[in-house]
Amino acid sequence: MAEKAILYDATKCTACRACQVACKNWNELEAVETINRGTYENPPDLSPKTWLKMEFREVGNNGTLRWLFTRRACMHCSEAACVKVCPTGALYYRPDGFVAIDKMKCTNCGYCVDFCPFDIPRLDVNRASGLGERVTKCTACTTPGLNRIDNDALPACVKTCPTGALTYGNRDTLLTTAEARVQELGGNARLYGKDEVGGTHVLYILDDSATTYGLPQDPKVPAAATVHDVLKPVGYAVAGVVALGLLLNVMVARARIITREEEK
Amino acid sequence: MQEVERFRKRARVQHWWIAVWALILGLTGLFLFVDGFGAAAEGGGSRLAHRIAAICFVAWPVLYFFMNPRNSLEWLKEAFTWNKDDLGWLQAAPSYYFGGPEDVMPPQDRSNTGQKLWMVVVIITGCIFVITGFFMWFLKGTISPETYQVMLLFHDIAFIGAGTMFLVHVSLAAFHPRMSEALRSMWGGKSSVEYAKSHHGKWYDRISAGESAGESS
Repeated sequence: MAEKAILYDATKCTACRACQVACKNWNELEAVETINRGTYENPPDLSPKTWLKMEFREVGNNGTLRWLFTRRACMHCSEAACVKVCPTGALYYRPDGFVAIDKMKCTNCGYCVDFCPFDIPRLDVNRASGLGERVTKCTACTTPGLNRIDNDALPACVKTCPTGALTYGNRDTLLTTAEARVQELGGNARLYGKDEVGGTHVLYILDDSATTYGLPQDPKVPAAATVHDVLKPVGYAVAGVVALGLLLNVMVARARIITREEEK
Repeated sequence: MQEVERFRKRARVQHWWIAVWALILGLTGLFLFVDGFGAAAEGGGSRLAHRIAAICFVAWPVLYFFMNPRNSLEWLKEAFTWNKDDLGWLQAAPSYYFGGPEDVMPPQDRSNTGQKLWMVVVIITGCIFVITGFFMWFLKGTISPETYQVMLLFHDIAFIGAGTMFLVHVSLAAFHPRMSEALRSMWGGKSSVEYAKSHHGKWYDRISAGESAGESS
């Protein structure tokens, strides 16, 4: 199956937030009551009820002010830290490259929350018991029962975008389109997500550095997740060798002690 | 058969209390550690069990420490007091535990060197579990993701260390022919005088001279 992707062209975005609303609407996520913080940006953060959020940045540049917009949602990485650290396989790669969730398997451990280099997954659990809402994030409209992708429909955010800032299609095709667009824009324009964390399935066309848009310059799977990959087999090996050694030890000791007693 | 009291009731209850909760903690931790066991953790029920067990695991030693600081400190001192007999014991132990001669083993106190080593492992890994577990439970979201990752890593490293040593402990205490009365004395409190003399000579000499038997586990 061809890899799919969503392309977000920040230079075409007007931050109308229709995508934010469409995401909530399609995925049946309630609106959250917030207070005016002096910005159009609302709600203040991603949450179990907000999987996609537009961020607004005011960037000063030689006396001019630029208003930059960033789409904040799951990047659907090819080397996803969340998939790597999930102990139950609740987070998994679909054949088209999107990172989906099998909620039945989620244990609410929250490892994905602390390992995601983009700070995307959210949990809403009771602090004391650890029980509550299972992990949430953008599933690229692949949530069972609300699956648009497998029914040949566009992701809700893409479908609603009025300016063409969001497009959906084969990742290869979108990469070609995006590279041509970056050429056309010139200046500081760049493509983000082509190679980051193995290549993401949400691609960004930015008009400045990633950090200016609030994105990590060089996102990586945290080293601790890689150490875990080594630590687990080491743990199995150490425990296995010791268990075998102990079995051997008890058998040899019994045989020798019994033999000695018989000799007496 | 002449018997001698090795462990008072309070010490034995404490030992088994810790053992039961540690087992539950280890098992529920294993669900997240071993690939393939994850299904047992689905829904978060095992996390709740892990947390309840963690409270129970910590509560008694802490309460006991404040109720009996002198005994607790004595126990800690025992675990961390090592001398040349301990080094001699460690050198001779491999041969001894594979059925080699017994008379070359240096005389041992109430706990032999191997038992003290286990006590040290329990104390050190126990502290690592409690500290890293506290951060992961109560400070998740407050501490930085990097700090959380390090805490998880040390929790797992301690688990490998404590889990492996636990296998050694159970094998020696319950199945090894040399330690035939270790489990019996931790269950019923008593061992034969002969066993106490041969395995814990220094301790037997002391209690024969009128000192009291071991207070804590």
